[in-house]
Amino acid sequence: MLEVRELQKIYDNGTHALKGVSFDVKQGEFLVVIGLSGSGKSTLLRCINRLHDPTSGAVNFEGEDITKLRGAKIRNVRSRIGMIFQHFNLIPRRTVLTNVLSGSLSKNGIFKSLLGIWPEEDKKKAMQYINIVGLTGKENIRADNLSGGQQQRVSIARALMQNPKILLADEPVASLDPATSHSVMQYLKKVNEELGVTVICNLHFLSLVRQYASRVIALKDGLLIYEGKPLDIDENWFQTIYGEEAVEVTIN
Amino acid sequence: MSANTQALPAEKKTLGMGQMKSVVFALLLDTFLWTYVSLVLYKVIYQKIILALRFPEFSWNEPTTALIVGGIITLALFFTKFSIGRATSGLYELDENKSIMKEPFTLLGIAIIFLTFIAGIYISQISIREFLSESGLSGARRIFTALFQPNLRILEPALFAAIETIYMAFIATALALPFAFLFGFFAARNLMNGSRLGLAVYYIVRFFLNLTRSIEPLVWAIIFSVWVGIGPFAGMLALMIHSISSLAKLYSEQIENISNGPIEAITATGAHPIQVIWFGVVPQIVLPYLSFTIYRWDINVRMATVIGLVGGGGIGTMLMQYQGLAKWNEVGLLVIVIASVVWVMDYASSKIREAIK
Repeated sequence: MLEVRELQKIYDNGTHALKGVSFDVKQGEFLVVIGLSGSGKSTLLRCINRLHDPTSGAVNFEGEDITKLRGAKIRNVRSRIGMIFQHFNLIPRRTVLTNVLSGSLSKNGIFKSLLGIWPEEDKKKAMQYINIVGLTGKENIRADNLSGGQQQRVSIARALMQNPKILLADEPVASLDPATSHSVMQYLKKVNEELGVTVICNLHFLSLVRQYASRVIALKDGLLIYEGKPLDIDENWFQTIYGEEAVEVTIN
Repeated sequence: MSANTQALPAEKKTLGMGQMKSVVFALLLDTFLWTYVSLVLYKVIYQKIILALRFPEFSWNEPTTALIVGGIITLALFFTKFSIGRATSGLYELDENKSIMKEPFTLLGIAIIFLTFIAGIYISQISIREFLSESGLSGARRIFTALFQPNLRILEPALFAAIETIYMAFIATALALPFAFLFGFFAARNLMNGSRLGLAVYYIVRFFLNLTRSIEPLVWAIIFSVWVGIGPFAGMLALMIHSISSLAKLYSEQIENISNGPIEAITATGAHPIQVIWFGVVPQIVLPYLSFTIYRWDINVRMATVIGLVGGGGIGTMLMQYQGLAKWNEVGLLVIVIASVVWVMDYASSKIREAIK
């Protein structure tokens, strides 16, 4: 459902973040992207939903190249791709419910949404997703008063409000403690398996990768250097991906 | 390797250009300083102090001659250690063990500041004799005794005028708010640098904000008192214009400091840019905006008093009238009223701003 072809990204400051990356993502996969910081993982995700514009190459999403779309067309594509972030990026000083509802902005009228008027069915759906991520009863609490793990679950619910075909997760657990990390990963797994949403996730910890990924790709210096099953990453591959000096850290 | 060798000459060329620039800058700075020094030495030190001329004549020959003299001195001293221009453009190789305070150019700089100080004293006409003169002191004594015996009979009109001033300042702030709110977005670089059109709007808005802000509210008040007539309306308009540009500047700086995360997240949901601003930007800036706006009201009350002096209405106009009639007891009362209003506003605004932080 997603085909990335020869994707290149050169930033304005000259950084060559992606040097021609190609891969496919199939419906229902849990694809994990690994690699060192600065290897181009975040750039890759941001090129898929066009938060960054790729310099060259193609991203075919449901049969359409989205790299050149503008205006309402790219907003429509974005609305079908959910995204969660390392630092959650929730709206500060707003309630959990408003934050979740903000996921449905694209299909609601501009003026109604500015006035804070949401359709009843959206509200019902939002409550349902808040329930799914286990935050029932916290709808009217300010989102920035929640713990990190809870905030990340709010952002998962916000992404689900979009009815996404794909969920992009940019280091979703990198600023969480090990126990909370597993809980958030389990919610992502649940979204993937029960709601059938394809997940593309950037991760640091190989132990999490082995546990949750259905397939893995690895980036190094903007190039794709590994593609395969998570359990096939042995000591040699690990050192190729992370460098000679690297020692694996486990997280339980 | 080949790429490296190719890159090297180009790099040298740009380095040479940069050096050229700093040499030109150093020359201009030195010429300016030496011209200034020779002009001040001649006009102030020689004519005013040594010859003690009260009204020395001026002709355009003098600055031209000074420029020529300055240029000659610059050329003579440019390659010695007396060149401030070379020092500020980093063209000297300084001995790190030697204190910079002992370098010749530092001493020269101090000498120029001292010269400016001497010239400044003469130009400001500072005179201890006038300050302590018999007639002057008795005048001051008369005013101070009157000020300390305020005329309480005009308390009522004074309070009404003060209330007029406070309302005027409030309306000026309130009417400025929506304009400043809008311009704040257009003047925020991080929101506008997405496209070329955005950047153009950014520069135009910035230019007009800087322009209106650089004209003092006092000048605006004079313009508007001719336009709409003397009174609170003119004062209100003057304060409003100035508040728009000042608030828009503060607002835009606030926007430039917000975190990019929520903006990215709302954009990623496929929301329209207007929705992105409303949900990604606005929640981050509401409280600082409120704080700035209250502070602006506080400033406007103070400014409204000054603006009243040129016909902007309120307690300032009243002050000007009594002052013109030399009724110092009444002026004394007005000063007390103004001081208490300003003090109360200052206290209240700082308390409110602390509370909403």
